[in-house]
Amino acid sequence: MSDTTLTNGWEYQDKPREMQSELLEINMGPQHPATHGVLRLLIKTDGEIVHTVTPYLGYLHRCAEKIAEGCDWRQWMVYTDRFDYLAPMNMNFGYAVAVENMLDVTVPERAEYIRVICAELQRIASHLIAIGTFGLDMGAWTPLLYCFREREEILNIFERLSGGRMLYNYFDIGGVRFDTYDGFEDEVLHMVNVMEQKLDEYNTLLSYNKIFIERLADVAVIDTATCYEYGCTGPVLRGSGTPFDCRKDDPYSIYDRFEFDVPYGMGEQGSVGDCWDRYMVRVRECFESCRIIRQAVADLPGGDIMSPDLKKLVKVPQGSLYTRTESSKGEIGFHIIADGGSKPFRNKVRSPSYSNLHVIEKVGPGMMVSDLVATIGSLDIVLGEIDR
Amino acid sequence: MKKGYVESTTPPEGYDPQREQMLDFKVNEDLLELCETDSKNFILTTVDELFNWARLSSVWPVTFGLACCAIEMMAASATRYDIDRFGAGAFRATPRQADLMIVSGTVTAKMASRLTRIYDQMPEPKWVVAMGSCAIGGGPYFKYGYHVVKGVDFLVPVDVFIPGCPPRPEVLLDGLMRLQDIIRGRKGKFKQPKWVADYVSKIPDVKPEGRR
Amino acid sequence: MEATAIHALLVEKLGDAALEYVDALEKGTIVAPDKIAEAATILRDDPALHFEQLMCLSGVDWDGYDDSGKGKSVQILGYDELGKPEQSDRVGEGDLGVFYACYSHRHGHKYSLFTRVPRDVASVPTVSGVWPTAAWHEREAWDLVGISFKGHPDLRRILLEDGWEGHPLRKDYVMPSQWQGVPLEGQDYAKNPFSEDDVVLPERPVEEG
Repeated sequence: MSDTTLTNGWEYQDKPREMQSELLEINMGPQHPATHGVLRLLIKTDGEIVHTVTPYLGYLHRCAEKIAEGCDWRQWMVYTDRFDYLAPMNMNFGYAVAVENMLDVTVPERAEYIRVICAELQRIASHLIAIGTFGLDMGAWTPLLYCFREREEILNIFERLSGGRMLYNYFDIGGVRFDTYDGFEDEVLHMVNVMEQKLDEYNTLLSYNKIFIERLADVAVIDTATCYEYGCTGPVLRGSGTPFDCRKDDPYSIYDRFEFDVPYGMGEQGSVGDCWDRYMVRVRECFESCRIIRQAVADLPGGDIMSPDLKKLVKVPQGSLYTRTESSKGEIGFHIIADGGSKPFRNKVRSPSYSNLHVIEKVGPGMMVSDLVATIGSLDIVLGEIDR
Repeated sequence: MKKGYVESTTPPEGYDPQREQMLDFKVNEDLLELCETDSKNFILTTVDELFNWARLSSVWPVTFGLACCAIEMMAASATRYDIDRFGAGAFRATPRQADLMIVSGTVTAKMASRLTRIYDQMPEPKWVVAMGSCAIGGGPYFKYGYHVVKGVDFLVPVDVFIPGCPPRPEVLLDGLMRLQDIIRGRKGKFKQPKWVADYVSKIPDVKPEGRR
Repeated sequence: MEATAIHALLVEKLGDAALEYVDALEKGTIVAPDKIAEAATILRDDPALHFEQLMCLSGVDWDGYDDSGKGKSVQILGYDELGKPEQSDRVGEGDLGVFYACYSHRHGHKYSLFTRVPRDVASVPTVSGVWPTAAWHEREAWDLVGISFKGHPDLRRILLEDGWEGHPLRKDYVMPSQWQGVPLEGQDYAKNPFSEDDVVLPERPVEEG
């Protein structure tokens, strides 16, 4: 693999002999308040400066791909919720679209619009947690409570819609499971209005805070070539300056009917592709999601919510296909191999955080340990989808 | 076997399940005035009560969020379902300063040794709450999960099981309150005064009929 | 660029190694396993193709795949109702395969590559020199399916522990009952102490009339 050059010029080998003491091996262990889950990082440091970072995964490996070979197509939707448990609607969406691409079924219009509304609301909720926990990692306790307060409102809507507070299993192959309740549109629009005000509040509280900026500007600069090499997608890729979004460049479902921009990092407070850029991309994506929701609610048609020509036991014809959709963390892909039966033959999940985490091996060396915490927070990983 | 009740879908009139249970248990009223009983097996001294009250009002959990249930634990500690009003709001990152381990999420084979290590590092008295169906019995991963421990009670002794996938924050708070009840009824290591011990020895060992 | 044109380019550069063109839902080329690294290099470096990003690399166990399309593939083994692992003497047969999905940001086209290797000599050259993200994906394929990658800088298990035996995503994998002292079996569900059958209500006089 490529040489790791330390970014601030403190090459370990170039130090005078008497300063080359041993490298200290620290475990940022599976139980840690700042690793966003059960992730183990073996850090070799030279004092405070990191020399190498090695992630160890698998502490949450829940064998979901093996389970896919044992349960039905519809039943596996439950397990997709548990991949990215902060954005389960997006995971459901990805799997539903992946299977529907292999079947010959059209999803009714109403279901498509409801799906888009739910996915965008879920994107906002997931980014709220990303913003809140990122602030927490940087030492700011208040934004976390504010973000959780807003997220509770979104979860209220989802609970009335699907019955579950956090893991919904709401999407189904061919539509959605339940219809919306009375007053759904008004609540969603009210939520979106409130959200836009609150996002401005977060901007004044956290985003343009001097300490926050000084902690994050020019930290962990990831350029576009590295993103392509390491397969980083989502806000990580967009924070590096490339406005690539699956919803716009590789559209699925009815995203080509909506008008929205794709925010990307421009190096406002430092270099392009630093932690602040990735963070700001998430905040701006929340605004764009609000736009999409408004357009979707305005056009929400009546009709069925479930495709009428799907039987209860779904049988997918023989074939294999890789489908990707845009989740809040990046590009979630399902490579599905079917044999014509009622159970999948192989479901491979390509999760965004798996590839996003890989980049830390390249970017980690040369920064201080507290910058490493900032980097992990800015990559916004979820261990549920890394380990599956 | 002859059943002692009439089988029907609605209970007969006058049937009060709570009263049924209470009538089976007989207690000596005089003894009750002298010493407090929480259930028929525990007699507490005032010192024990004081210590138990102190412990249950400040149960500090260790941050042991593993998977999706951890997010509901975080939501329980957020402003809507405030866990701090129960005294349990100070999540300690180090197990050496914590007394409660809320196992929230799936325990995998790889994580099992780390979980027991964290449990061993906690000082006595310590309690474990198994939150979520994965911690209770493997959850949705029980059939094909080759890497999933089917329940955290294979590894550490559990005091309270909280079902749900994930359990709502209110259910977590209810589980915490049950844990507080357990702590309240806990017999301590302090010696009882002799007059209490004498009366304790005189309480008959009541076995209600009909219970297994 | 059209998928057939990409296939033609690969045939031109690789010759015999580009075995077959797949024209199903997913357009791709079946490549002979020993030339996969060259194929990957061509995909990345050729200016007309310019596939900078590897979207997905997955290992597949083709054991018991029902080619007729009726869905009668072999069933996997799990844990039964008593919580014990199901046993079976069936030995797996069939090939192992690797699947690569690539995407080009510059041109906006997608393409896939497929390989198949026999089960006993499951070795494929690595593409982590071409796309560094493949390093972790190949480690996962080694871990779960058991395909080893020649030339990989660090081929060890990534999701399971280093001392794990067996490759779980194979169709003949028997579930373990314990691993290094950690019990992985379940409990007998019929013995659930909280089931309604175990509750005995107290005797009450049966009401007449």
